[in-house]
Amino acid sequence: MKKWPQCVLLFWLALAVVAPWLGFQPDAIDLAHILDAPSLTFLLGADDLGRDIFARLIAGAGVSLTVAGVVTLVTFTIGTTLGLVAGYHGGWVDRVLMHITDVFLAFPGILLAIAFAAVLGAGVDNLILALCLTSWVGYARLTRAQALSLRGRQHVQAAQALGASTPRILLRHMLPLLAPALLVEATFSIASLVVAEAGLSFLGLGIQPPHASWGAMLRDGARYLLVAPHYVLAVGLSLMSLVLAVNVLGDTLRDNLDVKR
Amino acid sequence: MIYRSLVDFDAQFRAAPALATWVCADDAHCRFTLGEDGRKFHDGTRLTAEDVAATYNSLRALKDTPLAAEFANIAEVKAVDENTVDFTLKSADSQFPARLIIGILPAGLIARNHDFARHPVGSGALKFVAWKRALTLERVADGQRITLEEVRDPTVRVLKLLRGEADLLQGDLPPELVADLKTRPETRVLESPGTNYSYLGFNMQDPVLRDVNVRRAVTLAIDREAIARQVLVGGSRSATAILPPEHWAGNAALKPAPYEPEIARALLTQAGVKLPLRLVYKTSTDAQRVRLATIMQAQMRPAGIELEIRSLDWGTFYDDVKHGKFQLYGLTWVGIKTPEIYRFAFRGDHAPPVGANRGHLQDAELDALIDRQDWQAVTARVDALLPYVSLWYEGQFAAMRRDVTDYAPAPDGNWDALATIKKRSEQ
Repeated sequence: MKKWPQCVLLFWLALAVVAPWLGFQPDAIDLAHILDAPSLTFLLGADDLGRDIFARLIAGAGVSLTVAGVVTLVTFTIGTTLGLVAGYHGGWVDRVLMHITDVFLAFPGILLAIAFAAVLGAGVDNLILALCLTSWVGYARLTRAQALSLRGRQHVQAAQALGASTPRILLRHMLPLLAPALLVEATFSIASLVVAEAGLSFLGLGIQPPHASWGAMLRDGARYLLVAPHYVLAVGLSLMSLVLAVNVLGDTLRDNLDVKR
Repeated sequence: MIYRSLVDFDAQFRAAPALATWVCADDAHCRFTLGEDGRKFHDGTRLTAEDVAATYNSLRALKDTPLAAEFANIAEVKAVDENTVDFTLKSADSQFPARLIIGILPAGLIARNHDFARHPVGSGALKFVAWKRALTLERVADGQRITLEEVRDPTVRVLKLLRGEADLLQGDLPPELVADLKTRPETRVLESPGTNYSYLGFNMQDPVLRDVNVRRAVTLAIDREAIARQVLVGGSRSATAILPPEHWAGNAALKPAPYEPEIARALLTQAGVKLPLRLVYKTSTDAQRVRLATIMQAQMRPAGIELEIRSLDWGTFYDDVKHGKFQLYGLTWVGIKTPEIYRFAFRGDHAPPVGANRGHLQDAELDALIDRQDWQAVTARVDALLPYVSLWYEGQFAAMRRDVTDYAPAPDGNWDALATIKKRSEQ
């Protein structure tokens, strides 16, 4: 039972990966079956256009996890690089980089993403871009703070004395010590990115129809809460399970990697 | 409801007497005689010909507004005696009385620059009381208070009605919720055919959509009947022109386009279009609009049209529409009463910001027909040119609690019936 977060995450990942071979048609509209209750044909019922909610949930999981994964990868790389350089180099490089970070930090992330989505236009690629632009600052700040303290460590000074190049020092002597904290940050950000994607799609600025997205499904489902509660419940519970699993996973990871213990 | 105008519209949308009856000596001279109804302003003063003249003169004095342009043709408004006003026009206009649908304001308050936007004073059936979070009105005849409150979420709106926090709600609900309200013992639902015209607008400057056969193919690739039956409220019907067939300037000879994806595909192939034809459709983020767009997207696929939906926030969307940055867009004309709309929406020189010819339709023959006010020919010509895909006139409905009577939804979704609405008091 202790491994349930991994199981939930694996469940959604596996479904999202094998979805193309399951033969579902998440976009097949059937006006005769609008908001049908769960049955053998529609495992979790049908949505407001008579589409299979289960098939759409799986398709939506793929979108949500892809967006979260890509954005985390990109922001992790950018944020960590900038933070390392700023922290290790210090001086004017540090000041310039951190002021830029502060500017981005000063905006509420989701608001900036909405603004970007409005300017760039809606769509998956723009959604990823908008989320990337706003969520790298956390990594940069964290890495920089850690790098500042690591810079004075003896093994780093030894490497410097031996004439190691800067990239080598950053990658071989500092990054491994930063990894635990960054990994924890990454898991938490995956969870918040899934919610952010859902939020932007909820506002109609994310994934465009007919493609499924959990946020858009939640928005549509909420309209029919009174007549078809199965719709919004199915989507809401799925979203909750995934976000909860990732969060608990991050918590466990932090406990296990905590050096103080 | 708060104001009364000289003229109103009857069921065929012809100008009908309201505050006044009129006689036109010719197309440039009309005399309006005030009747006895609605002659008392809410501040107690009597509505006279002087008020009518002051109202229209104040409109003419405005600068750079559509209203001033609308009445720029007036040469003189003269109060002859307490009950008689003479309008003199610069050029003949047979439809002039139908333009006088502006609420009459008290001359005294106009002179004092009263803020009518915040504290309206008129002579209508309902009197303005307060507008803070909700709008409160009072019926002059019996002192009945009516409060209008904005509730954004459709589910919350329905729950408020079911719990008795609201007595009446009208329009803008998913049809599934309307169907559900019909089955509830505590509510009653009244439906009526609507007149608000939903359409898709083409960009006539687009290299592909410039070809009328491509536009016709898009028109044939939408199953209006199925959509009206399954995902619109009762009373919805397929549309043929901006003004419905029962309008005096409507065209009953026009038939709604059928759903013929095969013919559409053939038309596209003949036009030399490489299939699938990719079109970008812009719409707002409104859930029902996105839902309808998704259905049309699926219906167009067998015709070889790949519709890409871009739902944009309202500001961006409307800005794009006004600036012609679209291939296809979807909107609804609400509350249109006079055929002047055809000039406003289609005449070659009425592109934004002058008018609403957003697709930049240029057709000399149509312009001539509009100037001749031959509306049968105008609607037929528009139907041949297809600057719009006519979709449907969405039905209107009002859902009310059982103790509410004497209310019926209006074809354009206005709230005028609040003048008669009654609530049985519980004993």
